[in-house]
Amino acid sequence: MSRITIPIGPQHPALKEPLSFLLTVEGERIVESALRIGYVHRGLERLFQDRSYVQNVHIAERVCGICSHIHTTAYCQGVEALLGLEVPRRALYVRTLLCELERIHSHLLWLGVLAEHIGFTTVFMYAWRDREIVLDIMEDLSGGRVAHAVNAIGGVRIDIENDHIPAIHARLDELERQMEMFLGVIQHERTFQARTRGVGCLTQEQVQRYCVVGPVARASGVAMDIRRDQPYAVYDELSFRVITADEGDVWARTMVRALEIVESMGMCRQLLDKLPEGPLASRAPRRVPAGLVISRCEAPRGELLYVIRSDGSDRPARVKIRTPTLPTLATLKDQLRGVHTADVPTILAGVDLCIACADR
Amino acid sequence: MRDVASAVLTILVFPGFGFLFVCALAFHWIDRRVTARFQGRVGPPWFQPFADFVKLLAKEDVLPVGAHERACALLPMVSLAAVLTAALHIPVGGYVVTSFEGDLIVVLFLLSLPALAYFLAGWLSASVFSVVGGSRALLQYFAYEVPFLMALAGPAILVGSWSVSRISGAQSGGLWTLLVQPIGFVLAFIGLIGKLKRSPFDIPKAKSEIGAGPLTEFSGRKLALWHLSLQVKTVVGIFLLVDVFLGGSGGGISLSGVTLFGVKCLLVLLALSVTGVLYARLRIDQLATMGWRVLAPLALVQLLVVVLVGG
Amino acid sequence: MSRRSSLAHLLPELVRTLFARRATVRFPSEPPVLAEAYRGRGVVHAELCVGCGLCVRDCPAFALELEREGRHRFRLVHFEDRCAYCGQCVDSCRQDAIALVSEFPRASPCRTAFTRVLVTHEASEE
Repeated sequence: MSRITIPIGPQHPALKEPLSFLLTVEGERIVESALRIGYVHRGLERLFQDRSYVQNVHIAERVCGICSHIHTTAYCQGVEALLGLEVPRRALYVRTLLCELERIHSHLLWLGVLAEHIGFTTVFMYAWRDREIVLDIMEDLSGGRVAHAVNAIGGVRIDIENDHIPAIHARLDELERQMEMFLGVIQHERTFQARTRGVGCLTQEQVQRYCVVGPVARASGVAMDIRRDQPYAVYDELSFRVITADEGDVWARTMVRALEIVESMGMCRQLLDKLPEGPLASRAPRRVPAGLVISRCEAPRGELLYVIRSDGSDRPARVKIRTPTLPTLATLKDQLRGVHTADVPTILAGVDLCIACADR
Repeated sequence: MRDVASAVLTILVFPGFGFLFVCALAFHWIDRRVTARFQGRVGPPWFQPFADFVKLLAKEDVLPVGAHERACALLPMVSLAAVLTAALHIPVGGYVVTSFEGDLIVVLFLLSLPALAYFLAGWLSASVFSVVGGSRALLQYFAYEVPFLMALAGPAILVGSWSVSRISGAQSGGLWTLLVQPIGFVLAFIGLIGKLKRSPFDIPKAKSEIGAGPLTEFSGRKLALWHLSLQVKTVVGIFLLVDVFLGGSGGGISLSGVTLFGVKCLLVLLALSVTGVLYARLRIDQLATMGWRVLAPLALVQLLVVVLVGG
Repeated sequence: MSRRSSLAHLLPELVRTLFARRATVRFPSEPPVLAEAYRGRGVVHAELCVGCGLCVRDCPAFALELEREGRHRFRLVHFEDRCAYCGQCVDSCRQDAIALVSEFPRASPCRTAFTRVLVTHEASEE
């Protein structure tokens, strides 16, 4: 059979992320794939070195459009550790609340993207419609839908008023009902299963060999979660399950993420109920003592790692970001070998790539 | 002289080109609007399909180097002409232009011509996406066409005539074919979805996989004609289903008959929209498996029942 | 597993959506509802501003400039086209003079239309 080469990306209707694939296809089967990244490299890590620590909070926020808050959390946490700064508990609660809300919104966005890629437009519309519930909560709290500008070094900038809490609970109730519907579709809708089961399988060994993190790893049975393994912020005071699945295919990833949304909603409720009184920020000095710090967070897509080196001035000497997408990219060659061309978008969507994070 | 004038009027206005054109755009709009409503959106304003058509007509027409220019210009016209011709033999509200014994076969043949043109368009327009889309279109054709033909053969055998208007007329006194052959109707409906390449069988033009499929490289007037031919095909397919399975206009030409016919058409359209909204797109191998393992045997069972019980 | 696999699992939600409010906002005719906390156009209480320049120093987008002529004569200029609306200036200001209000910055084809003088401080009696 003759081979043809199909280009996918960097501009392609299927791929909202700027990466490029060259797929060599025999009939409808893929025999070879070549990946190219770097289309949205913006030199952000270098930019960090030219700005003060305060300004860098906003640079970190703009590394990624979806997981903006977790980037600032990782960054601020690192700088606070370098300063030896005690962050008020109320601030940590607000920070964690935003982290979990952001996880819900990121996972719902992803569910929509996956649904659209398998031609399930209705679920795409519903997922993005119901994502507005979370976005509304975040907009009311912080004034921004995706760029929240909540974190500051030493604390947070927003407060949650007590009379606002019932409204958030009510919205979470609404989302809970919708999540039940989504879980029903994921578990029972036949066409959905036909397109996602057995597609893009990764075994536990592969996951560990490629150092894959986050929901993709958890869907292959690797129970790793920074929130539990190395709790930051106030995660040690919350009760939650680490969701895992054994199948390792796109369906398992969907299931893990959907159940994680449910877990996150539970965590949001705990945070709102336990919210302690107190100040929102402690004053941070502008100059940061020399040193090196590693800050880890569980981003919606997996472990996010910031390495910050300070030389004692008011600007970091080096900021290195390791995003959860990077190891996942390496697995794509394995996942795409021998699959049907129709499954390529499903696989690419299934791992939830964030190229803006990975390219920086 | 008057015959010529009335023939021209029939072909150009009713139930020829003009009527089908308006119906096609109206059905397209209703479909989009209903789909949008089900998905919690607003949907386009009523003139959107017409505006899109005019816009495409006015746009520059480009083809990539290596595409077969003459074939690419001819294929959309062939496709449109085939579906327009098919419409001549299908009664609309009881009115039919020409009817003869065996016109059901002609209609089915004419309705499958666009699929062939669609495949050739993909093959000849020099793009990998359209080649993949074209081969998928052909595979899909083999998956839905056999059950579709068998499902439509059922009523023909039962009535003992291969003429659409006779089959439609035969139901005016008695029961609708739908009630006699429910499996046949469902199969014909599924086959129609495959024929129209609508969701969940929009496999050849799956936009997240292969762009616009065979039509990826088309633009301007050619694309407008392609879209129009698909939209007219939707209308003709719905007319055919209503005539064969839902009793058409209930016999004779009357205002109530025409209204009834219109209502039935809208119901079938609604059913098409709802099916499009309910499911995820299948993969081509899944459709082929479904076509041969589920639909074809079911169609065979239905035919046997018709022959053994009805004959 | 509450319900078995069904052929039309989405149907109840379709019906619910049919009778629910549409999610679409018809933008230009229907104004968007902005949250109270929305970080839009920046405003300054001129009488509170002392021209310390902390906001200028901390702005990550270099959208603020302080033009100073002598100790009490200065102008604070805001370049909205560069602004990221992050609210760092509000945070940095020790006098609580700056606020971001829930007002949409307008679009314009002309770049200079986005340059606004927030504070003009002339030499006063002090």
